[in-house]
Amino acid sequence: MTREFNVPPIVFASGGNPIPNRRLPTAPFQPPPLSNPNLPFMSFDVGSTSLAAPAFRGDIDNGFEEVLPLLEELGINTRQIWRKTASILNPFRVHVNLHEDADLSGPFLFLMCFGLFQLLAGKLHFGIILGWVTIAAIFLYVVFNMLAGRNGNLDVYRCLSLIGYCMLPIVIFSALSLLLRQGAVGVFALGVVFVGWSTWVCSRLVIELASAGDQHRGLIAYACCLIYLLFSLLVIF
Amino acid sequence: MKFFEALVVRRRCLRGSSLKLREEMKFFKVQRGGVRRGFICTAMYDNMGGQAGAPKPPFNPQPNPFGNAFSGAGSGLIRGGLGAYGERILGSSSEYVQSNISRYFSDPQYYFQVNDQYVRNKLKVVLFPFLHRGHWTRITEPVGGRLSYKPPVYDINAPDLYIPLMAFGTYVFLTGFSLGLLGKFSPEALTVLFTKGVIVWFIQGLVLKLVLYLLGGAEAPLLDLAAYAGYAFTGMCVAVLGRIVWSYSYYFLLPWTGLCMGMFLVKTMKRVLFAEVRGNDSSRHHYLLLLMALLQFPFFFYLGRAGV
Repeated sequence: MTREFNVPPIVFASGGNPIPNRRLPTAPFQPPPLSNPNLPFMSFDVGSTSLAAPAFRGDIDNGFEEVLPLLEELGINTRQIWRKTASILNPFRVHVNLHEDADLSGPFLFLMCFGLFQLLAGKLHFGIILGWVTIAAIFLYVVFNMLAGRNGNLDVYRCLSLIGYCMLPIVIFSALSLLLRQGAVGVFALGVVFVGWSTWVCSRLVIELASAGDQHRGLIAYACCLIYLLFSLLVIF
Repeated sequence: MKFFEALVVRRRCLRGSSLKLREEMKFFKVQRGGVRRGFICTAMYDNMGGQAGAPKPPFNPQPNPFGNAFSGAGSGLIRGGLGAYGERILGSSSEYVQSNISRYFSDPQYYFQVNDQYVRNKLKVVLFPFLHRGHWTRITEPVGGRLSYKPPVYDINAPDLYIPLMAFGTYVFLTGFSLGLLGKFSPEALTVLFTKGVIVWFIQGLVLKLVLYLLGGAEAPLLDLAAYAGYAFTGMCVAVLGRIVWSYSYYFLLPWTGLCMGMFLVKTMKRVLFAEVRGNDSSRHHYLLLLMALLQFPFFFYLGRAGV
């Protein structure tokens, strides 16, 4: 037996009544022929004052200020990361103010690259790098704060950030050692150069960013040197 | 540049007093950066009835130009001093943690008050103890009515924890390097080395503690013993470095550094013991100290074999 359903008549705003009791196949959203400025999601005008757009429109015009780019939302400031990276590349001029705000995304990138270069050399070291960086950060944190005494204010986050950024020379060394034969004398000499570079930059940054490190430059530099020597062992052997 | 003067400490305790010490320390005046003038600090031991000793102070930190001036006296010093570091290092400022830490450790910050000059001189003392011309006692200074030891910056004989820590790291690196030269390097091997090093350090500390216990129950703070035990790694580093440079030098360097370390430990333990010695059986002392020195050789041998 058939049932009759009472369907209310569908009226479109643009006029033109469809046949009642019949659903026309319509497009999911259908702009009216008249552009009605009162309906915000219909407006294409750049200069329109319509706001409160639904999200599925995307960021086509500057009416959508609430939706930030993904990286910005995550707090990854790529320009700053690039600037910090470039500052490490020049060991003779240390830009202290760039490294004032610590972030971990640059180090994460460097460590991933390091792991990838090691992978190209046939060594699967991702977990080891992660563990060693953590231990190294805690080690440097303890040593620096103990040496600096009551006034030392290096915190683990900044310590980790600095160690990670100064890992850049080691990453370059890892890339270069792919081109050299395993066990060549040149590898050792290169290693010395890159470890020295890392140590120099890291100790200078740590001493200038955290207070009360001035009297112990050599001691802190030796601690940094140990850290990077251990990482260079991973690269060389 | 700062001038420091140790106060004249002239202490004559009556016999039968609780401290049982009898000592005289001379005036010690040093001018930094200039001519060292004045008097050499010596501790003269009064050998009446076999009682000899330097004053045995409770272990207290004291004011120093590093800015961590602790005020107060007594165990409250340690608790107060650790209060600042308790929060920083441990992240908790609970009374329970502080009091427990101060019972087992004694202000680790004392052991890191070092500078370049101290490190260089101390390395010379540890590696060539027979060349150390001065005395081996630690200089004390009265703080708040009690005697405490001077920090390592002012006193070459004070133990520190920076050198052992760095020597340990260097030992791990050098042994890893020599393993790599042999083609046997792997990060797991490095972890095994690290663990072995920690175990040897711990056992060495236990040996020192045992020696102190057997020879009259002298008290030394745990971190002191950890520092003395860790100095073994400096000699070990030299031996492994020699092995990297020329493999046959190892057979000469290892016994040599073992001997030096033994001598160093004997001399320091003797001074630690003198603070508390009450008995008259000095021959027992000497045998146990000799045993302790001889025990260095198996330790060094084990540490060296770990890298082969």
